[in-house]
Amino acid sequence: MVGFLQQIVEGLGAGAIYASLALALVLIYRFTGIVNFAQGEMAMFATYIAWQFTAAGVPFWLALVLTLALSFVGGMLIERVVIRPVEGAPELTVVIVTVGLFIFVNAAAGWIWTFLIKDFPNPFPAGAFEAGGLHVGYSTLGILAVVGLVMGLLYLLFQHTRIGLGMRAVAANPESARLVGIRVGWTLALGWGLAATVGAVSGILVAPLLFLEPNMMGGVLIYAFAAATLGGFDSPVGAVAGGLIVGVAETLAGAYVGFVGSDLKVGVPLVIILGVLLLRPQGLFGRAVVERA
Amino acid sequence: MSAFLEVTDLRAGYGDARVLHGVGLAVPQGEICAILGPNGAGKTTLLRALSGMVRVRGGIRLDGTDLAGRPPDALARLGVAHVPEGRGTFVPLSVEENLRLGAFIRRSRAEINADLERIYTYFPVLRKRLKQAAGSLSGGEQQMLAIGRALMLRPRLLLLDEPSLGLAPLVTQELFRIVRAINEEERTTVVVVEQNAHIALGIAQQAHVLETGRIVLSGTAEQIRADEQVAQSYLGYRV
Ligand SMILES: Nc1ncnc2c1ncn2[C@@H]1O[C@H](COP(=O)(O)OP(=O)(O)OP(=O)(O)O)[C@@H](O)[C@H]1O
Ligand SMILES: [Mg+2]
Repeated sequence: MVGFLQQIVEGLGAGAIYASLALALVLIYRFTGIVNFAQGEMAMFATYIAWQFTAAGVPFWLALVLTLALSFVGGMLIERVVIRPVEGAPELTVVIVTVGLFIFVNAAAGWIWTFLIKDFPNPFPAGAFEAGGLHVGYSTLGILAVVGLVMGLLYLLFQHTRIGLGMRAVAANPESARLVGIRVGWTLALGWGLAATVGAVSGILVAPLLFLEPNMMGGVLIYAFAAATLGGFDSPVGAVAGGLIVGVAETLAGAYVGFVGSDLKVGVPLVIILGVLLLRPQGLFGRAVVERA
Repeated sequence: MSAFLEVTDLRAGYGDARVLHGVGLAVPQGEICAILGPNGAGKTTLLRALSGMVRVRGGIRLDGTDLAGRPPDALARLGVAHVPEGRGTFVPLSVEENLRLGAFIRRSRAEINADLERIYTYFPVLRKRLKQAAGSLSGGEQQMLAIGRALMLRPRLLLLDEPSLGLAPLVTQELFRIVRAINEEERTTVVVVEQNAHIALGIAQQAHVLETGRIVLSGTAEQIRADEQVAQSYLGYRV
């Protein structure tokens, strides 16, 4: 029993990371209807920036703040420069642009920092908190706390600020948003900035667990896709719940399903994506599209 | 002396398709102007031109300020409120959020709260539905919400596109009575597009008939009502 709970705790820790990247995907999807395949690479790039700061001797938490601020600006710039020109273009065009962005950011990181792996400092102390035989790593607790904090801040932003209300209005009906005086273009850029920031958090959280290298986020992105699909691509709460569920499912499958083991457990997200698309395409928390004339 | 809203030789369309071929209007401050005409005449396009949602050539002046070529959010800031055909509510957002969005560009909380109260006196049902999603309202309630949201801008020019669409006759009458009351109490200038010519002429001072992108007939509401051709085409009876 303790062993089982232990697996769940591990799963939640991993799941929180998927959740934060899924949250970034969902933010952009809600505002622009775009699935941003480059989300993971943007997060990886931000993580390198954080690494560069710490390597230059900047204390970790200050490096974090600087990186998040740069990610925000970077996300807005990407929207203005790369996405804006294809706004309103057919979906396939936009998808291909984000795939292009994926390749570009990946190559740029390799060019700047090489493909050699780097150690990324862990902001949380080593060791674990123990209760009834259960070990909860401080790192796992830290990750859960950070993702919880990010969610809480986003909730406050969207539900209790004027800017957040404006952003929800743009997501709901861009044309009417314009008519009430909202600058829709800037709001979309703001959405990208926010998503880039949230994604950067996931990169910085995952880097100490893996090694920092340009392909670090590839796997995480797949899990984040599974999480967003499971939770519903238009639901931030769903993205987080989906991330946690995917994390736990992956860990349990690796530990208890004999033939899965640690090699095949990367198949779990695929199974989840397929299952959801077949059984409940809008996801657990998503809204099925029902148009009212 | 020029009118409050002055539209001269307005041309607009979608891509290569020209829809308006030189429309002219002049509406004095505080008056209601009705736009009538058959389906596809370009009535919606005219309102969209006035709120900056389609590209235009020609002149649009509001109280002397040139509006032509400005984007919709800039026009909202200049006091143009547009209730689009099909209402354009923020469906997943609550009634209260929809109304507050109407005042997005305004800063004073106290004034906004006072205006909310004012909207509830015009449309008491909205107060009972404050926390409900706009999409869950009935058609008539959504139309009231859309007009309420437009009023939250404190508009100088209110554009209404077929407010009667899909509403029961009694609800339509009530809605037009309220539009008239708003116009009288706030001195808001209104341009209203309506299929229901009879009811629109009942509240308007002046009216224009639009056909295939041109104004084919203009006059006071009484003149238009008395016009035999209009009576046949749009009022459904012979004089
Ligand atoms: N988004 C659009 N793209 C291309 N053409 C359009 C568009 N919207 C309208 N049109 C065309 O412009 C013309 C005028 O349309 P508009 O909607 O202004 O008419 P309307 O007078 O409001 O009609 P209705 O009474 O049916 O609402 C029509 O021929 C229509 O096909
Ligand atoms: Mg129309």
